[in-house]
Amino acid sequence: MPRPVRIRRRWFAWAALLVALAAPQGSSQDRRVVRVLAERFAFSPSQVKVKRGTVVEFKVRSDDTSHGFHIVGSNGSVIVPKRGRGEATLIFEADTAGTYTFECSKLCGAGHSFMRGSIIVEE
Amino acid sequence: MFRTIKLIVLKSDDNRMKTLIVRALGSVALAVLGAGPLLAQPAVTASAPPAEEAATPDGSSAEETAQSEQSPPPTVRASQVRRDDTGSSSQTGPISGYMDFHLNKPENEDPLLDFHRFVLLFNHGFTDRLRFIGELELEHALVEGLEESGELELEQAYLDFRLKPALNLRAGMLLTPVGIINERHEPPSFYGVERPFVDTFIVPTTWFDAGAGIYGTFGGSWQYRAYLMAPLDATKITADEGLAEARQKGFLSNVRNVAATGRLEYVGYPGLTLGASFWSGETSFNFPREDSSVGLIEFDGRYHKGALGIRGEYAHVFIDGADAINDLLQRSSGINPNIAEQMRGFYVEPSVRPLPGLKYDLGAFLRYENFDTQFRMPSGVLPLKQFDRSAWVVGASYYPDPDVVLKIDYSVTRNRSTLFGSLDSLNVGLGWWF
Repeated sequence: MPRPVRIRRRWFAWAALLVALAAPQGSSQDRRVVRVLAERFAFSPSQVKVKRGTVVEFKVRSDDTSHGFHIVGSNGSVIVPKRGRGEATLIFEADTAGTYTFECSKLCGAGHSFMRGSIIVEE
Repeated sequence: MFRTIKLIVLKSDDNRMKTLIVRALGSVALAVLGAGPLLAQPAVTASAPPAEEAATPDGSSAEETAQSEQSPPPTVRASQVRRDDTGSSSQTGPISGYMDFHLNKPENEDPLLDFHRFVLLFNHGFTDRLRFIGELELEHALVEGLEESGELELEQAYLDFRLKPALNLRAGMLLTPVGIINERHEPPSFYGVERPFVDTFIVPTTWFDAGAGIYGTFGGSWQYRAYLMAPLDATKITADEGLAEARQKGFLSNVRNVAATGRLEYVGYPGLTLGASFWSGETSFNFPREDSSVGLIEFDGRYHKGALGIRGEYAHVFIDGADAINDLLQRSSGINPNIAEQMRGFYVEPSVRPLPGLKYDLGAFLRYENFDTQFRMPSGVLPLKQFDRSAWVVGASYYPDPDVVLKIDYSVTRNRSTLFGSLDSLNVGLGWWF
């Protein structure tokens, strides 16, 4: 009777191999959610440090008026709804080391141009 | 329905009938299964409005509500971010602005309606790194060329040259970076119908003039501004209104000696902002034989957590050569303006937003202020006690929208004089920002 046991083991080994091959290719990337609060005239936090290879999911909400959240030098931009009306999401794939700037892209008052922050991507 | 069909099939004696019914049901089931994926696709019709223009149930535009859960969030890849202005294009933003409409009822006087401020803001991005921002303000609704009839002011009109987060350049008509209110004066952003007395008599908001300088952020928690600006005019300093009339406001501003000003802010803890500001500049360009200068130091803090908030500010003004200015003005006009050597003021303002989770927000506050425009006089001159003032202001703000505020407050002011009284006042204000 040992034969069926061997066959079952082999069958399980093939199944395990198939499951491993079918796993998502991007699973090696770290994913990180960063919650940002926007209010006249600052983002909090205003500096975000991540390792190269991290996928950062910015979830931005406002404590007052509607703001914008824009990565300078890209077309990535979202409108952050007014307080109490939800949040905006923008994904940043940190595949290259360096310092990147985010800013408010919707004029929000006399101090609008102070609303900036940075993403530092480290090796 | 299925139960009825089952009963018909089971009770029927005719096998042919049974076969027909089963085949019919099988065909229907097959048709439903085949059509299912097609029916599951979202319907697209020519009359459906574009997502950006769709209105939400409360009437706000889709732009101002949370992103649709069906549309994936935009993704930015670091390797594709432009490090220069290549590819960025010139873009003018929509006009925005704020308005401030007041009803003031001083004690024992007639009530006054005042459309206090009508402000329009403009912005234009020449590139990602070169930006323009302008702010044009009409005060008191009517301009006849004198302060009593209102003012048309160019409060901001500057170009930003963005180099890197820690170092950027700015030039044009600038807001002096002193205090809480001067750079942050939209009606929904502060409590009280009128701005705090300290931010009127000691820090002369809105304080703006021509200049240039640098600004930036560093260490993740610090922000700074450092400008060279047109100086104050010492001959316009008064005992009653402090520095307010001494601003040159970019109108042929004399810059024989420029003033230096700056501000450092700590924003590293959620909800907390701590700031320190200074101003220093020669003021004697209208009487070059005398030396006179104004120095100002200021500290402020704001903190809010949950329903509770508190803010406070302390400002101290030093006027070198005040005695010489008083002598000169007395000789030229016959009136001694009694300019002090030092002025100072402070306030503290606890507040509560008891329903912070609601869209229709409500806030209440109590503010104590103490301000003295003759805190220290030149030697041999006694201060006039009516300029040593204090105020209690209590009030509430209702926000039907985060950008619209209905304010009401009652202000009790006192001074140390036994000859001059103070007026309490009831104030109601409607302010909005767009």
